[in-house]
Amino acid sequence: MNRYRYLLKKTGWALLTILFVLVLNFFLFRILPGDPARALTRDPRMKAEAREILRVRFGLDKPVINCFETLTPLKLGDCRVNPFETQFFIYIKNLLQGELGISYKTNRPVADILAERLWNTVLLIGAGQILSIVVGVAFGVFAAWKARTAIDYGALITGLVAWSLPTFWLGIILLFWGSTHGFPIGGKATPGSSTYPLLYQIGDVANHMILPTLTYIIVYMGEYMLVMRSSLLDVLAEDYILTAKAKGLSAFQILKDHAIKNAMLPIVTLIAINLGFTVAGAVQIEAVFSWPGLGGAIFEAVESRDYPLLQGTFLLIAVSVILANLIADLTYSYLDPRVQTE
Amino acid sequence: MPNDIILEIRSLKKYFAAGSRGWFSRRERFVHAVDGVDLQLRRGEVIALVGESGCGKSTLALTLMLLEEASEGSILFEGKDITRASPQERKALRQRIQMVFQDPYESLNPTQTIEEIVSEPLAVHGLTPNANERRERVIRALEDAGLKPAADYLYRYPHQLSGGQRQRVVIAGALVLEPHLLIADEPVSMLDVSIRAEIINLLADLRQTRGISVIFITHDLGTVGYFADRVAVMYLGRIVEIGTMREVLQDPKHPYTQALLSVIPVPNPRLRRKRIILQGETPNPIDLPGGCRFHPRCPLAIEACKHTDPSLIKISSSHQAACLLLQP
Amino acid sequence: MAIQELELKPAVPASPLSGFWNVFRKNRLAIAGLGMLVVIVVAAVFADFIAPYDPRSYAGIGAGDIYQPPSAQHWFGTDDAGKDVFSGFIYGARNSLIVGFFAAFISIFIGGTFGIVAGFYGGRIENFLMRFTDTMLVIPDLPLIVIFVALTEPSLWNIILVIGLLGWTTTARVVRSQTLAVKSRKFVLRARAIGAGNWHIIVHHVLPLVMPILVVNAILVISLAILSESTLAFLGLSDPLAISWGQMLNFAFGRGAMSVGAWWALVAPGFGIVWVVLALTLLGNGLEQVLNPRLEAHHLMPGQPTVQKEAGEVPSRSAFVKTPVVLEVQNLSVEYVNEGMPPARAVQNVSFQLHEGEMMGLVGESGCGKTTLIMALNRLLPSAGQIVGGKVLFNGVDMATASDEELADIRWSGISIIFQGAMNALNPVRTVGDQIAEAIRKHLPIESEAALEARVTELLELVGISAEHKDHYPHQYSGGMRQRAMIAMALSCSPQVVIADEPTTALDVMIQAQILELLDELRRRLGLAVIFVTHDLGVVAEMCDTVLVMYGGVTAEYADVDTIYNQPRHPYTQELLKAFPDLSNPEKRLSSIPGYPPKLDSLPPGCRFAPRCPLAFDRCKTELPRLHELGNGHVVSCHLVETSSA
Repeated sequence: MNRYRYLLKKTGWALLTILFVLVLNFFLFRILPGDPARALTRDPRMKAEAREILRVRFGLDKPVINCFETLTPLKLGDCRVNPFETQFFIYIKNLLQGELGISYKTNRPVADILAERLWNTVLLIGAGQILSIVVGVAFGVFAAWKARTAIDYGALITGLVAWSLPTFWLGIILLFWGSTHGFPIGGKATPGSSTYPLLYQIGDVANHMILPTLTYIIVYMGEYMLVMRSSLLDVLAEDYILTAKAKGLSAFQILKDHAIKNAMLPIVTLIAINLGFTVAGAVQIEAVFSWPGLGGAIFEAVESRDYPLLQGTFLLIAVSVILANLIADLTYSYLDPRVQTE
Repeated sequence: MPNDIILEIRSLKKYFAAGSRGWFSRRERFVHAVDGVDLQLRRGEVIALVGESGCGKSTLALTLMLLEEASEGSILFEGKDITRASPQERKALRQRIQMVFQDPYESLNPTQTIEEIVSEPLAVHGLTPNANERRERVIRALEDAGLKPAADYLYRYPHQLSGGQRQRVVIAGALVLEPHLLIADEPVSMLDVSIRAEIINLLADLRQTRGISVIFITHDLGTVGYFADRVAVMYLGRIVEIGTMREVLQDPKHPYTQALLSVIPVPNPRLRRKRIILQGETPNPIDLPGGCRFHPRCPLAIEACKHTDPSLIKISSSHQAACLLLQP
Repeated sequence: MAIQELELKPAVPASPLSGFWNVFRKNRLAIAGLGMLVVIVVAAVFADFIAPYDPRSYAGIGAGDIYQPPSAQHWFGTDDAGKDVFSGFIYGARNSLIVGFFAAFISIFIGGTFGIVAGFYGGRIENFLMRFTDTMLVIPDLPLIVIFVALTEPSLWNIILVIGLLGWTTTARVVRSQTLAVKSRKFVLRARAIGAGNWHIIVHHVLPLVMPILVVNAILVISLAILSESTLAFLGLSDPLAISWGQMLNFAFGRGAMSVGAWWALVAPGFGIVWVVLALTLLGNGLEQVLNPRLEAHHLMPGQPTVQKEAGEVPSRSAFVKTPVVLEVQNLSVEYVNEGMPPARAVQNVSFQLHEGEMMGLVGESGCGKTTLIMALNRLLPSAGQIVGGKVLFNGVDMATASDEELADIRWSGISIIFQGAMNALNPVRTVGDQIAEAIRKHLPIESEAALEARVTELLELVGISAEHKDHYPHQYSGGMRQRAMIAMALSCSPQVVIADEPTTALDVMIQAQILELLDELRRRLGLAVIFVTHDLGVVAEMCDTVLVMYGGVTAEYADVDTIYNQPRHPYTQELLKAFPDLSNPEKRLSSIPGYPPKLDSLPPGCRFAPRCPLAFDRCKTELPRLHELGNGHVVSCHLVETSSA
């Protein structure tokens, strides 16, 4: 299989997965007891005319989908209705237009709320992910190189302990410590700082980011370190490393030119697999540090039973993770020549 | 004996679909693993099937074991066509046709004791439900395979045995069903030279004492001499030469057999000979060359070889080879 | 290639289970994890007896009890409602473990079934199941769990169900790949050949081999389930009636513990989570190491310094080749030193001389020390290997004591190695041309990149590979081509000595012949000295000038090729020749050497071959024979030579 076909196949698969998520996201909220459609009609925060507008926009008076009037309780309906006149297709159509509903709590379009928050989460996960990979991989390389020494043993135990820490608890402890050492206790910026010069604002955000990012790094670094260590140990025991040594290359040259790239392959796979889990970390960190991101949005949406926000956030997170996963797959194919010709 | 043919293979073919058919391509491609093999095996006879990797010898073995389904042709075992046997018939046949695999390190389950391994076939076939009787059969099979005293081995695990001992366990596991035909797929190629002989001698003895017919599959023409009645040489899914051991080894007629024989090292530095080394590698069995399938590598090829696919030509009552140069 | 593994098989346990425990209890981390787990399980089971207060009851609590620091009455202090944190801590263990174990049970059951079914049956079923698994794996599960729990009722069993139903993906992947690996093994084919059906094979052959991995995975899944549960509880999604660590943290964090400085209410429950998860992690990590042992030794670990603790015998001088000596090995001895085990004497007092243009065959059964010998020449021994005596003289440099710089210089440009190219000796992610160029760049002055390219092309063409394959990766080569590329690489810096380590094993006979012919032609053309390691006596007879036969780490016999084949004096050489098939005499019955080579860490006291030798007498069992020189460089280590010549 050449690279072009590989790329095509992976992209096609990502699109199918997104489709699956769309379907899941729609039916989940209609099968489980907390059906937002019914919740909507009962939500006292909503004005009557707003309710009517939403009813039309989301087709709430129409059947869920052909043959089914409602799903909870299950009520069969006419199968010969125009499929485009059902809630499901109206939902898809709305989605394609970027329409995600109105938040119950704030009465603002969900799409607007998410647009603000997406970048905050990308900033936090991006910084945390990059730093934890760099730190984890570096320690992993060092531990594997110095295998069976005190350094290696210490690194192994540190990694196992870090892996075992619950993210939110580590956040709480750091926050507790930070609050007595002059760190900001939450949020993304000091209130009112938007009037200050840009440089000051950047510094302020960075200051707010230190503790959340540190939490992120400690929790995820452990796993990257352990995987890099064991992956590099395997690679360094390979025959081609002996070949390189027999060629007279130095230990540094062997690590740089023969070992690290090969050992990184499982890391790339791990990053791809982990993306789903990193979201879990972000939810916890954002909840602890009141960071205004997508994870925080889930936390708030659950607390206030704000279903449109919950639904929208889940969709956005899922789609982002699928796309990031696709990028990781494509990177892998670039790093490992064997993929293209399999 | 009027019916002393135990196995008859008639123009047997086994193709595998090669690669996935793309979304846009409708042309199917096939690996021609076994491409028209005819063979008869007499009761108590040992035939060696020789060829390099990719010649189809292992696929042929799996097809004979009914572990792969034949694409065309038929297999007659003890006078009965078994090519399309039902699952029940297959299971019954497994008692009479058994197989010994190449790698004794891989063909034993590391979590089973030797007794469990050797008695497993009896359990699968529901034979000898009596525990004492079953143990007796296991012990007899182990001792027939040369593991004496068998009681020393019953409770051991495969990793506690050497390569040669493991291969004897594999053979005992096949013997316990008292088969009529044994298919041995490269049984010694993974073993050290110093212990190969004991396994070969064991197989030779079994055929003397039990009258078992053996199909001995190997890439090494060197070891067949000590043991086979007849030798069949395979190239790209076909038998290109077949004859008695002496005919094939001492008077090979096909250029491929001649080349194979010439490159077998002779352990005598005073006998260094001219070797016929074929260039290139065996073509892949998807796109077979036209004409004689050996012609692109044949040192003796003539123009006709590019167009005419030779069939087996009789040289003596027992010796045949497929080469245009042998045509009268 | 783990040389040590090849030559030193570890002592084997009596049964898989008792062996397992013996290895497991030596793993201190795993034992610590097991201990920690036992403590917390006991606490959870006997919570009613251990906890000093009932955490559900408000009896006797007053306003003054809120957020009290640790004291004799309240070991871990009190919480926002004035309740005893220690009691909550003990009861919290119970719920965490219940959720962890039950949710993991659901996940393992689903994942295990999917994995085995997909791996075993393959085809469309596998395709469908694994696509579904991959999809579920990509979808972030915490938000999904949150949604499920938020939309349903957060009761203990709902939480277990949701975590269990969403946590099976990694199990399915791990089990599937293990099932695939097991299924491809020959004993499954053997089971089919004896007539066993699918169900029999799954139960008797697949499950026992999947089970260990499933157990390790289960431990991981339990710890993930416990983390998920505590996260949910911290987010406020927990059964209000079931006390859990996450819930305690939720209350403390949400109700001002931080602002009043009540660290105990925040630390204690978190400590519980860390304790359990760490216990499981240590246990799982330890189990994995036991079930899938690695030497944890690699090629970059520092080697052992050479010592001279053994007195040498008379060095042997070969007189059969008249050209100058390029490599002289004198009384070389190598040991493997492993903690807690007697040293394994892999090579003992081996001497030989290699002349310009000479090809020496190094022959012996597997485990006789030949690989260790050649790796010692270039000091490429694994880290446990130590040269304990003798010299390796190359161009006046003793390789046994040379500095790292001298070694780096001589490796490849002086002594290069042709590894088994069919194996993994080429780096799979770099092109073949690049790997050849690397060696040249390291050792030779290069005028320009173009000159380097030209040299690589020239080398590849020398071994019969056309230039267009230069930028291909090793997996795009056939086995024969990889071996040719390996030869080109070994010749790239014009070495004087080339060591060929079983270069034709695992190749087809005709390809084997091609490679041997190429090697023979090149060494004649370039005047190379070659050490040819093999167990194939036929190849040695056809190619070599001299032969060194090794047995049990010592020289059995060393002579020119004609003497070895026509007047062998060591019984081992004689027996080896009888066991080798000879087509010029196909009717003869082959003989084999009964028994097996000695293990190098438990050598017999006398002659190493005595237990298998048909001619052994009393003296052979007690006294190691010395090397006898029979003239013209023919050396034999056998007592019989002494008796017959005396």
